[in-house]
Amino acid sequence: MAEKTIYEHFKSQGFSRRDFMKACGALVGAMGLRSVPPVAASNLPSHLSRGAKVVHTVAKALESKPRVPVIWLEFQDCAGCSEALTRSQSPTLIDLVLKEISIEYHETLSAAAGHQIEANKQAIMEAYRGQYLLVVEGSIPLGADGAYCTVGGRSALDQLKEAADGAAAIIATGNCAAFGGLPAANPNPTDAKGVWDIITDKPVVNIPGCPAIPEATTGTIAHFIVFGGLPELDSLNRPKPFYGVTVHDRCLRRPFYEAGKFAKSFDDEGAREGWCLYKLGCKGPTTYNACASIKWDGGLSFPIQSGHPCLGCSEPNFWDGGGFYQGQSAPLNRPTIGMVGGAAALGVVAGGVLAATNKSQQKEK
Amino acid sequence: MDWNAFLEFTRGPMFQVALLIFIAGMFFRLVRILMLGWSKDLAPTRGSKAGGVAKSYLKAFLILPFYPWVKGTFRRNPIMYVAGGLFHLGLFTVIFLGTPHMLVWKSLLGFGWPTLALPIVDWLAVGAIIAMLVLLLVRVSTPLLKMLSGPAEYLNWLVVFLPMISGYVMTHHLFFPYEVAYSLHMLSINIMLIWIPFSRISHFMFYFFSRTAHGAEWGRVSVNP
Repeated sequence: MAEKTIYEHFKSQGFSRRDFMKACGALVGAMGLRSVPPVAASNLPSHLSRGAKVVHTVAKALESKPRVPVIWLEFQDCAGCSEALTRSQSPTLIDLVLKEISIEYHETLSAAAGHQIEANKQAIMEAYRGQYLLVVEGSIPLGADGAYCTVGGRSALDQLKEAADGAAAIIATGNCAAFGGLPAANPNPTDAKGVWDIITDKPVVNIPGCPAIPEATTGTIAHFIVFGGLPELDSLNRPKPFYGVTVHDRCLRRPFYEAGKFAKSFDDEGAREGWCLYKLGCKGPTTYNACASIKWDGGLSFPIQSGHPCLGCSEPNFWDGGGFYQGQSAPLNRPTIGMVGGAAALGVVAGGVLAATNKSQQKEK
Repeated sequence: MDWNAFLEFTRGPMFQVALLIFIAGMFFRLVRILMLGWSKDLAPTRGSKAGGVAKSYLKAFLILPFYPWVKGTFRRNPIMYVAGGLFHLGLFTVIFLGTPHMLVWKSLLGFGWPTLALPIVDWLAVGAIIAMLVLLLVRVSTPLLKMLSGPAEYLNWLVVFLPMISGYVMTHHLFFPYEVAYSLHMLSINIMLIWIPFSRISHFMFYFFSRTAHGAEWGRVSVNP
């Protein structure tokens, strides 16, 4: 018997055609697509790409393609990205990814445990070699031969390398998996690294954030499943549909920035009026993420809307990139009083010595 | 190229080093000037030196040369005065009354102050940038100024112009991603900080020396040897 397509799975779960089309529409929106991207690598019939509406392409793809297994590994993480995913408010989309697209291995979500689930993972990696999608959450410690993080008695590094070997593509979700995140913060005791520091021979898509926006993760997974390829990426391997513009560019407080109206503390008049949080350390201008447009909890709010400045959690090195509440224009390294005194003394001595030498030379003449 | 990493470098260690070089360089210059010493008064002072100094600063405060009916200099060279004035006004406003710059001062000095709204600072910055372009054109088109200008003069212009234009590009999110424009802005500022002590841009400090010295000289009202 031929393998069931994603649509058939969807129907067997009791969803109607109407639900399916709505999910396709949600997917298109979540993937940030306005037109059909090139489908050369997708194994889709070429007529799908010619002038068709994106939603039709997505529907046809899901009707014709088999499920893609996803293996989800967790290393030095807090499971926050998984938490965000399961609490996301776009249920059809998340159902699609969690149930229909079939996450085959997930340490937090799987009901099975122990040797059974590890054996299942091995079986899936064997059966779908070169086809499955690997999602990584959490950073990988290289210190002490990887002994800082082990699952099933094997180091994170070992597990990652093994799973990456047979993966079609790798998605690093959350700042830890992408750039090392909190575990890599100074002094980085475990020598934590992001996935792309270790896996260099496979495409690695970074979905940074703390946690990653669930729609960005599922949207990217969906893009791979529907089109068979990865979305367009920026220089940090982040999908452009979600990381194309800064938080500042889409911020609802932006007009106050332009008008020079800033909250100066968390409980002043400006904070109550909803003015710009730039002076309170907002990193929105240098942070590329979709927080301000997709938002969280079904578009309810996001940190800046709720009155807290952006921490820049989708950027590398965000824990050490200056204080969270220090204005972004402020320098990262400030000279200490001692350094300033030293520099001044150096100038005074050099100037004095030079002047004295010049004078003695003049006297000799 | 990872521009965010480069930004961290230009905002962090590079800025710190540039600032220390600036401080050391300015103190070096200061000592050199002070050790030149004052010339001895060989003739008795008939006026008041202190009065002369006060008058000198009052004149500067009232920016006397800028009133066409007070001084002939303005009428003879209005472009220089208008462009020069606009440039300095814009520069001071941006550096001290622009919010992002005040936050730099705050992080360095430990205290902040109220700032102007972005549109006001912005228009003054535009004025300063246009003024700089005008001044450059005047410099290359006036034979006398051209003769007086060497590589150092053009370098001074460039070193001040780059932070201004990159700051404007960054504020308005033009051409480059924000972190690229920000990196270039910081890079140009660091270069400027290192260059200032060894150039005539240091007149922001030595201006006060010449005001004082000249004021005292005028106030003496006596015969100069």
